[in-house]
Amino acid sequence: MDYRVITQEKLPLFLSALRQSFLLAAPVEEEGEVYFRLLEDPSQVYLGPRPSRVPPKIFFFPPTEPLLRYRREGEKWEVFSAEQDPRPLILFGLRPCDLQSLKALDAVFLASPPDPYYAARRENTLLLGISCPEVGPGCFCVTYGYSPTTSEGADLHFTLLGKFYLVEVLTPRGKKLVQDYASFFAGETAGALEAKQSKEASLLAKFVAPPQLTGVKEKLPSLYHDPYWEELAWRCLGCGICTFLCPTCHCFDIFDRGEEEGERLRCWDTCLFKEFTLHTSGHNPRASLSARLRNRFYHKLLYHYERYGVEGCVGCGRCVVFCPVNIDIREVMVEVRRRGSSGF
Amino acid sequence: MASNPYLPHLATLLEVREETEDIKTFRLAFDDPEVASAWQYLPGQIALLSLFGVGEAAFSLSSAPLGQGWLEFSIRRMGKVTTALHQLEPGAKVGIRGPFGRGFPCELFRGHDLLVIGGGIGMAPLRSLVNYVLARRKEYGRLQIVYGARSSRQFCFREEIFSLWPQAPDTQVYLTVDCPEEGWEGHVGFVPDYVAEINPSPEGKYAVLCGPPIMIEKTIARLEERGFLPQHIYTTLEMRMKCGIGKCGRCNLGAKFVCLSGPVFSWAELKEEREKF
Repeated sequence: MDYRVITQEKLPLFLSALRQSFLLAAPVEEEGEVYFRLLEDPSQVYLGPRPSRVPPKIFFFPPTEPLLRYRREGEKWEVFSAEQDPRPLILFGLRPCDLQSLKALDAVFLASPPDPYYAARRENTLLLGISCPEVGPGCFCVTYGYSPTTSEGADLHFTLLGKFYLVEVLTPRGKKLVQDYASFFAGETAGALEAKQSKEASLLAKFVAPPQLTGVKEKLPSLYHDPYWEELAWRCLGCGICTFLCPTCHCFDIFDRGEEEGERLRCWDTCLFKEFTLHTSGHNPRASLSARLRNRFYHKLLYHYERYGVEGCVGCGRCVVFCPVNIDIREVMVEVRRRGSSGF
Repeated sequence: MASNPYLPHLATLLEVREETEDIKTFRLAFDDPEVASAWQYLPGQIALLSLFGVGEAAFSLSSAPLGQGWLEFSIRRMGKVTTALHQLEPGAKVGIRGPFGRGFPCELFRGHDLLVIGGGIGMAPLRSLVNYVLARRKEYGRLQIVYGARSSRQFCFREEIFSLWPQAPDTQVYLTVDCPEEGWEGHVGFVPDYVAEINPSPEGKYAVLCGPPIMIEKTIARLEERGFLPQHIYTTLEMRMKCGIGKCGRCNLGAKFVCLSGPVFSWAELKEEREKF
């Protein structure tokens, strides 16, 4: 791997320079919350401890987007693909969990037949990761075997070490970027790798009793009919916030807007709404909230992995932090390990 | 952009047949001859029909793939898209995506007897299978068809079930209605009980079912009591679907998506699943 360093002062200048050739999106603070936004002014970038409220999947799988457009002329219908913004995008400030979550989404959207809209945006976007400055209250990335400084999945990855960032150059596209913008970087990285390691160690030491993954997948099948899911559903409001803010949730609905001329849209949907699986006949295979909540946890903790060999949860903690009734997937994992048996 | 699997092919409605008061069969042909010749399907597979400005919904094909140059879908008027479909006249344009999923294992069935059991609109995909088998009559053994409807007015495919199929070689059709009615001389009662009465032998036979979930569940129990092995029982699952290509997430049955792994499953496969359909 290739390494560079960039000073804290030069980082906004680098980002400003990028804006000449790219769309640039990064976390910013708005009304007390952190959101990824297209940036006008790189000095606004939020580099504090909180992760973005809405995950950066919005840039690849927007909450609403057209899948096609249609137009009627007399008896003729014209149907065509929706256009996309062709300008290349740079996403700066992706957390290690954000980067990991793209593996889970890639597994779905790039599986044959690939989703052309998602695929085109992935292709057209450079990923600039950043190590987390702190461990947040909902965080449990370590459960999934990576850390707040893991750079996997990024083109470039930034870790703040004192007054400068260590920059890991992880892909040919990342390499081209540091070459094209060479004046912002220095090649002298003596001691930086060791500094990153000790930073990682100090962050890892801050996790208090993260849930263990061992046995969760093995034990879940034995708990399918356990009363636990009903107990959990007593609290659940079925609001779906855990799915809308989940960086790996990919479910969507499709509907048409416009009669003679319009677009067929997809928009985020959630398995916690009863309409999600409601048949036109009135039959509903997941009629109860407990069945829907159970499906969500099985999907996150088991089904996604069974299907794709990629974890369906990355431990970002958004569902933990934003659940209005404090349903905590980490506690679910602990309960599964406690109640379940693997000899099913 | 790479090819867009969400783009339907345009087709023209050639003919509409009224099957019952709320079921119509729609015959459609693709406008593009290249699409028409490339579009190969098996009985049991599904397609998504589009009415632009209304929406898209999943249906199984009710025609058999016999090189006719058209497709048929038999559709009950239930919701938004089906109600709009029922208002169409020949000449109307409909979008078609597919075919999706896994159809009936017609190759596996070859050389065996078949017991085909349908309830209500569930007969639609089974009609495809029956006509596929009848077109290759010598390659399959005895064909028994059990078909139940709420009343005799609710039977679809009347020419086939009353005349064409009973006259086909080595083919029996058993019809039943839920309640007694004036003028109906045939069997009265629910499908699972009728199957028990017919008492089919499992020897060298595959059973293929489609209908309401309760009918499927009870009929499978009757078949298993008679010694049918789970791997010799097939059914096709109705499931709400949107994308048809394993992305939108709503048709999952455990880790499987019905649009990709189904809609046809053997009972042996379904028994493995914890989730009930």
